[in-house]
This record gives sequence, structure tokens and C-alpha cells, in this order.
Amino acid sequence: MPPKSQEADDKRQAAREVIDILQEISDLLNTNLDRTELSLCVSLIENGVNPDALATVIKDLRKETGSKRVGNAHAVE
Amino acid sequence: MSNPARNPARGRRLDDALSQLVDGLTPALPISAIQDEDYSDAEEALASAESRRHHALMERAWRILDTHTSTSAPDPGSPAGLGGRRGSFVGTESINNAPDLIKRKLRRENVSPDKAVRFSNLYSRLLTQPVLSQKWGILFLLYKLSASEEPVDGGERSRSPLMDDAHLHNMLGKGGARPRRGTMIDSEDEGPAVSSSASQQHQRVLPAKMERQSSLRHDINRDGVDQAGRSSTEVPATRVEAGVNERPCDEHVRAGSPRPSSANPSGPPRSSGSVEHRLLRDLPFNLQGLSSSNLQFSSSSSLKLPSNLPAPITSLLNTLAEPCLLYKGLSAFVGSEEGGLVNQSLRAAIAIELRAYLSLVATLEAEIRQALVAIGDGTEPQGVRKGGVTLKRCVVWTRDATMALRLMSLIVEEAQSKRGGQLISLIHGFSTSHGDPFVCAFAEKLLEHVTRPFYDMLRLWIYDGELSDPYKEFFVADPEFRPKTDPRRLATSVWEDKYKLDDDMVPSIINQEFAKKIFLIGKSLNFIRHGCDDSAWVEAYSKKASKELRYGDTATLEISIDEAYKTTMARLISLMNGKFNLFDHLKALKSYLLLGQGDFIALLMESLATNLDRPANSQYRHTLTAQLEHAIRASNAQYDTPEVLRRLDARMLELSHGEIGWDCFTLEYKIDAPVDVVITPWASTQYLKLFNFLWRIKRVEFALNSTWRRCMTGARGVLGNVEDKVGADWKRARCVIAEMIHFVNQLQYYILFEVIESSWEQLLEAIRRPDCTLDDLIEAHTKYLNSITHKGLLGSASSSRYGTSTSTSVKQPEESFLSQLHQILKFMLAYKDAVDGLYSFSVAEFTRRQEINAKIETRTAQGQWGLTERDLLSRQSNTRTGTSMASTPDIRPDSAGVDGVNTPLSLSGSNLAADDNMLASLRVRLRELSAEFRSRLTVLLGDLSYQPDVDMRFLGVVMNFNDVYELPKRRKAAGPSARDKEKEKEREKVKRRAAASAAATGSGTEGFVQKEVRRERRDTGTNGPGSASGTGT
Repeated sequence: MPPKSQEADDKRQAAREVIDILQEISDLLNTNLDRTELSLCVSLIENGVNPDALATVIKDLRKETGSKRVGNAHAVE
Repeated sequence: MSNPARNPARGRRLDDALSQLVDGLTPALPISAIQDEDYSDAEEALASAESRRHHALMERAWRILDTHTSTSAPDPGSPAGLGGRRGSFVGTESINNAPDLIKRKLRRENVSPDKAVRFSNLYSRLLTQPVLSQKWGILFLLYKLSASEEPVDGGERSRSPLMDDAHLHNMLGKGGARPRRGTMIDSEDEGPAVSSSASQQHQRVLPAKMERQSSLRHDINRDGVDQAGRSSTEVPATRVEAGVNERPCDEHVRAGSPRPSSANPSGPPRSSGSVEHRLLRDLPFNLQGLSSSNLQFSSSSSLKLPSNLPAPITSLLNTLAEPCLLYKGLSAFVGSEEGGLVNQSLRAAIAIELRAYLSLVATLEAEIRQALVAIGDGTEPQGVRKGGVTLKRCVVWTRDATMALRLMSLIVEEAQSKRGGQLISLIHGFSTSHGDPFVCAFAEKLLEHVTRPFYDMLRLWIYDGELSDPYKEFFVADPEFRPKTDPRRLATSVWEDKYKLDDDMVPSIINQEFAKKIFLIGKSLNFIRHGCDDSAWVEAYSKKASKELRYGDTATLEISIDEAYKTTMARLISLMNGKFNLFDHLKALKSYLLLGQGDFIALLMESLATNLDRPANSQYRHTLTAQLEHAIRASNAQYDTPEVLRRLDARMLELSHGEIGWDCFTLEYKIDAPVDVVITPWASTQYLKLFNFLWRIKRVEFALNSTWRRCMTGARGVLGNVEDKVGADWKRARCVIAEMIHFVNQLQYYILFEVIESSWEQLLEAIRRPDCTLDDLIEAHTKYLNSITHKGLLGSASSSRYGTSTSTSVKQPEESFLSQLHQILKFMLAYKDAVDGLYSFSVAEFTRRQEINAKIETRTAQGQWGLTERDLLSRQSNTRTGTSMASTPDIRPDSAGVDGVNTPLSLSGSNLAADDNMLASLRVRLRELSAEFRSRLTVLLGDLSYQPDVDMRFLGVVMNFNDVYELPKRRKAAGPSARDKEKEKEREKVKRRAAASAAATGSGTEGFVQKEVRRERRDTGTNGPGSASGTGT
């Protein structure tokens, strides 16, 4: 039991680190993704979603909600 | 959640994640959005609206995703490999594309490379993480999302990296000189995977391309096929670049890039094409220094051009001829054999450079051949562009190489007359003081090779102390031709003369002070090894400390040399002090030869006194050594180490007729290697000189003291009885003797204490300094000796130091100090002899009176007259001589070699008149001598008081502390010649008086004076220990 939890801990730690790195890259690139969104995207892509398509989806969603988004930006952030 | 039946492969987790994502991205619906709904159920209405919208969005998202899945290839902007939804795009090569895209984007959008660098760091960190399997996908997603900030025109965006390429291309200066290489470098800069395979490169190019113009796609494909079809003799990257570069040529003009220029010159050659092609074909051979059908080397330094060429081509060929000729000359130099190690290494360095040049020629040849083939193919426009290799371009391409060749041949030319360090200095001069950075860099590069043998030698020298320099290139030279020194000086050559520092050969990479240090290190090591028999230490040291020395890291070199210097010097000094007892020897020299050990000297003198009074040829070495042994045994010297005592020896200087033992006796202290490096034979001579001088003073002191003792003891007995007759004489004599004793004491005190001791202190101070080197030691010792001899009134050696202003006038008195002192000492001895004569006269007088009294008593007892006339006449002839001689044997100067029975003729006249006559002459002599002594002393003191040296002036003051002697007033302003003349006159007067007095006192004294003069001559002339031999044997 202890070694297993240890392992899980390690895994989580590693995952967090990866997300950290990706977050930084995403900041560099001005993608406007927050952390949860980023991790969702990561998990989607890990599960085999086409990144290009996903990008299109996200862009699409943003365009869709763009006008409202400006109005209450605080709700998202 | 939506309709799982539509795509069963879609997992639940995906749905969950997507819906969460949609939720996250869609903001909560504002109340206003549901204004039309039932207001009472606002909450519910809002929720239902949201869920409705959610469903709609999800639907839409899935639709997009599915579209991507089904229609993979024709979608613009997606990489060619992104076919399947699951995993198929995760080829290893694709991983590199997204990061590259990102990097380029960052580089384009930001002026400073900070962000790109940061991204590279992050990316490399990401690669090390094992968690993700789809890194590329995520990065691509991020890239896409970031791009969304820009205008949404996909084509524009995707092309930008290539434009970036073009920018880069223009920025690189080298691109102009060697276009193909330049582009190659560029392409390598773009991504790490470029060189891995040509197809991948192509793949990356493709999407951008496809996006741009579909009409061009065919062209590209053809290009790709073309590539595949061709034989793979060339570097693939180069060829791909050709394809890449081609397109921008079509699309947009790129100023400064070499490609457009290639199109222009390809026009003119059409007319004279065949000639140029032939020339081009031959060019690679010419560049390698070989003759061809068109261009022939008529000699090693000239190239014959065909005469029927148009002027532009001739001028081009003229330019191209330079590298050809230079290469030919240089390859001849490389092939040659003679020269030293540095020359050979220069040759090797040039050979390396030539190899680089040859590889350039090889590339050139490949280009030319390809171009010629393309031209030969036909009229295809592609071929014209490909075959754009012209003479002009060859000139441009070889320009750098020509510069390098020119520089090398310059160096080679100048190197003809130089060797070793000079050669290094020459190249170093190019690398440090030449304005052209190209020349500097090139010379620097050469220098690294050229200095290698030099550093090898240096290393061997400072770590092993061995000079390995077969061609005389190092700045330490081993002089084969030794100047013919006399054998006595040869002993020092181990240190002084074995190696010489050759200033001309010191390369400019090492400064003069440093060179001196290096020289000293090696010399010390060598000396330790050969002079001190301590090669074991040297070997251990070299094993321990030896390290590679290279050109470039000057700091390391300096540190290691400083270290070596310290270690070596410390070792050498400790060897000198510890193993070879240098310090003990110095001390022994001081205590024995410089009379530091008072009890020993006193004892030696006492025990030898009777011996030494005899003539020199009756001195025997064994008696001397026996006395020496006795003196050592009975004094504190016995506690000295046997090592020191073993070296002490007593012997006679060379025998010359008529000398007594005092003149020839000398002590000797034997010094052998390697201590003789410090105590050189010259130093030993100085020591001997000092000893002789001190010994003489000591002897005079001894003689005066014994006379004084006799006077004092006699005054109570014998002399008291004859006071009526000679009392006044004795009084005067005592005064004079006291004066002399004072003089001798002061002189001794001055020399032993003021001079020797203070110099000794300085010597000790110099020796005990922590960073003392052997050279310092030698110098300190020399200084010590010089100061002793100079201040001890002996020196002529150091007098030149003071002779700067008035060389002759100062030098003269100083040289004469020794002779003056000798004269004074001589007069003292003469006076002492005269006093002894007076004493014997007094004793004789006393005995005579005693006898007469005794006779009177006996006669009175017999009843006769106490005193008869007969007695008065006969008493001297009968009795006096025997008794007087018995009481005072051997003290009259002329009686040295004669038996006491032989009375001097003047006395054997034996009458009262003669007796009185003798007393009178004695008185005259005593008076003369004392006057002489005084005048001499006055001259000496006068000289002393004008000495530049404080200590010597001090001596004058000490001797004349109460102004007993009136010094001749000397004007400073008086010229040296006037002063000299004055003194000369004075001396003349003195001499005349001395001669007169000598004549007055008879032949004995005369002989004595003569002997003194002779001895003096010998002292100044041949006072070398080497020329002397023991007289005892």
C-alpha cells in the first residue's frame, strides 16, 4: 500500500511539473488558457484528440462567446 | 453525453473532458440572455438555457473534431502526417515540427532572443518528462492557439517562417562569399533534425508550400522526384537547400542573397561560354598548383595565361592565379624538410590549413562539374540557373582562402631567416598587432600549432631541468664554445656559465621578467640534479608537478610557472642550507679567516710566534698543522663540527727568499662543490686577502703587546736601575708604543666590529629572507665581501663604485690605503725592534753595572781597591757581550738569521765611546721612527676624513677622537690633481726621511725596510692562493 501511494504521489508530482512547464510555454505564447483549461486540453490530446481540431474547437468556442466574454471577463478568469 | 451511438470509439472520458472544457470556455449566461423566459423560474430557466447551449456547443465541437478525423489530408494547415485521430501523427519526426514553429514564431515576434531561449529551455525540460506521450500535439495546440491572436489568414502565417529564413540568410555575412555553405549553415540553424534525413526536411517544407499555391505543388513534387532520382553522391542537405532556395527566387526578390546574382552572370558567358567552361573545368587543378592545358606553370612562381582571351576573363584569371601560385609555393614549403622543431610545426600547421583549402577546392570542383553537366544537358531554364558557376563566382569563393594563403606565404617568407622564439614572436606579432581581425584570428590559429614544440621544451625545462633543444630554438642556450677561463674559475661554471639566457630568442608571448624566471627554474633544477646529486627529488618533482602547457591560457601558465619557481627555489635553498651546510661554512669562514674566533686566533698566534720568527724556508707544514691542531684542541673551536674543522688548513704561501714565517703563513678553508657556487674562488681569494691583512694587524698587535709587557715588567727591575741613563728614552718610547697600540686596537675594532659584523648582519638578513633564491644568495655574499674589502681599507674592487664623480682622485687614495697601512704597520714593527734594542741596551747597561758592583764588592772584600783603571778599559771586551746577548737573544732586527753570539760590529768595538754611540743611534732611530709613524698616520687620517663612506670617516674620528693629530687642512675646491700632487710631495718627503733614518741606523734596518717593501710588492702582486704552495715541504 505505501509504495503504491508513493508511486501515485510521484506521478501526480510529475504531472504537475509538466503542467507547470506547459503553462509557462502557454504564457509565452499568449494563448489565454488558464490552468484547468490547459490540463483539460492535455488530457484530451493524451486521449487521442487531434490537436488541430481541438484548436479549431477552442477558437470556435471563443469566437462564439467572444462578445459576451468581453462583457463579463471576470466570470471566466 | 451527446450521442455516443454516433461514434462508439469515442470514450466517455473524452466526453467528460470536452464538456468541462466547453463549460470552462463558455461564460455563465447573463440574466439578460433569458429575459424572454419565465421570470419566476429564473434559476431553472438559466440552467436549462445553459445546458441547451452546452449541448449545442458540444455538438458543434464534436462535429469539428469528426470532420478532422474523416477528412485528413486536404485540410490546409495540418501537417501531412496528421491522418488518424489516434496516434498516427505521433511519429518521432513530427515532434520537432511544432517546437520549431513556435521557436520561429517567437523569434519573429520578439526583437530579443530571450523568449526563444526560454522556450528552448522549457522544451528541453518537457522532453525529459516521461508523463506525456503526445508532447507534439500539445505544443501544436498551443502554437495554434497563440496564432489565433494574429490575423486569421492561415497562409500568411505559415509562410512566415520561411521569410524568417530569408532574413536570416541576408544577415549572415558569409553567405556572400560561399553561398552554398552559407545556406547550409542556415538550414542547420533551423532545427536539430534537419541533417537527419532529407525527406523530413522536405516534409517540413511541404505544408507551407501547399498552403501557398496549389499550382506550385506539382513543381515541388517534381523536385522531390528529381532528388530521389539523382544519384546520392552529394550531401543531401545541400541539394534540398537548392530546392528551398529556388522557390523564394520565384516568389520574391531577396536582396543580397547570392541566388539572384547567379542569374545575371549566366548571361554573358553564353558568348564566350565554351572558353570559360574550359577554364572552369581546369580551375580545380590549377588551384592545386597543377598545370592544365590552358594555364601552365612556367616556373614555380609564374603562371602563363593564354593570350587570346577577352580582357575581363584575363583579369579574372589574374586574380585566380594568386591562390594557385601561393598554394604551389606553400606546398613546396610543406614538403621540404629542413629547419628546427618550431619550423616543422609551422609546416604542419600550414599543411592543415592547406588541407582546408583543398577541401574548398574539392567543393568547388563538385560545383563546377555539376554546373558543367547541367549546361551540357540542354536549354532547360533550370539548368542555366543551376549551372551558375562562373569564374567570377570562383574568385569570390576563393577570396578568403586567398587571404589565408597570402598570409601564410608572408609568414613562410619571413620565417626563412628566423628560428625558434623569433619565429613565434613573428607570428605572435601578427596575432596581436595586426589591424585585420581575419589576420589576427588566423595567426592565432597558427600559433597554437606552432608553439607546441616550444611549450614542450618549456615544460621539459621547468619541470625536469633538462634542455632538449636540438635546433637551438629555445631561449636558454647551452654555450658550446666556452670562453677560456682559467681553471680556477671553471668550478663556478656549473651555475654561472652552463646555460645562458638568449634575449633574442625569447618569444614575445613571454615577457622578459618571466623568461628570467623560467631560466632560473630550469637552471636550478639542473643544478640540483647535477651539482647537488639530488636527481631523485627532481624526478619526483617532475612527476608530481608536470602538466601540459599550451598556448592560450596565459593565466594557467603563469600560475604553474610561479609555482614551479617557488618550489624549486625553496628546494635549492633548503638543500644549500641543509645538505651542504652553506650557512655553517659562511660562519666558519667568518670565525676563522676573519678572526671571529678570538681565543683560537690568540692561541694560534702565541703557539706559532716563535716558529714564525724563523725564515720562511725553515717552516714545515707538519709543525704548522700540529700547531693548528693544538690551537683548535685548546680553544672553543673544538666544539665546532668536524665537517668544518676538516676543511681548515694551515700552510705557507709560496716561498720567496729572505722572508720570515710571518709573511708566508696563511690559514685556508677548503670549499668544494656545490657550495663553491656561492663561495666562489674569487670569494676565497678575497677571504684569503682579508685574512692576511687581519693576520698582519694581529701580529703587530701581538708584537707590540709583548714589548709592552716586557717594558712593564722590566720597569720594576732592570729598567729601574738604569733610569738615570735611559729613563727619558723609555718614557718617550712608552708614549709612542701606547699610541701605536691605540691605533692598532682602533683599527682592529673598526674592521672586526664595525665592518665585518655589520656586513654579516646584512648578509644574514638577505639569506633569511623567505623568497631568497640562489642568485640572491650569491649576490648577497658578493656584496658582503665587497663591503668588507672596501670598508676594511683593502678594497680596490669596489672602489669604482665611488669613482663616478672624481674617479682618479678617489681611487688613488683608496688604493693607497692598503699600502699606507702596510707602511704604518711596518714602522710599528721597526719601532718595536728599536725598542727591543733599547731594552737590550738597558739590560746590558744593567748587567755591566751589576758586574762592576759585584767586582767592587769582591775586591773590597779582598782588601783591594774596588775600582781600577784596568777594569774600566777591559770590562766590556771580556764580559758584556755574552751576558747581554744571553738576556736578549734574537731581538735585534739584523740578527734574525744569525746566532746570538755574533755581536754586531758596531757593538764589538766594545768601548765606552762605542756604547754611547750606540745609544745615540738608537735614540735617533726611535725618534725618526715615531716621527715617521706620526706623519704617516696623519696622512692616513687626512685621507680617511674625506672618504665618502660614513664608516670610514668614523674610523678616522675614532683614531683621532681628541684631535691629537693635526690634520692637513684640505680644501674641497682644490682640484684632484693639485691634491694628488700635494700628497705626492708629502709622501716624497716622508720617503726621503725614512731613507735617511734607515741609513743612520745601519745596514740591518736597511735590510728590513727593503724586505718590507719587497713583501708589499708581493702582496699586491701575487696574492693568489692557487699560486702558493706549502713551503714546509
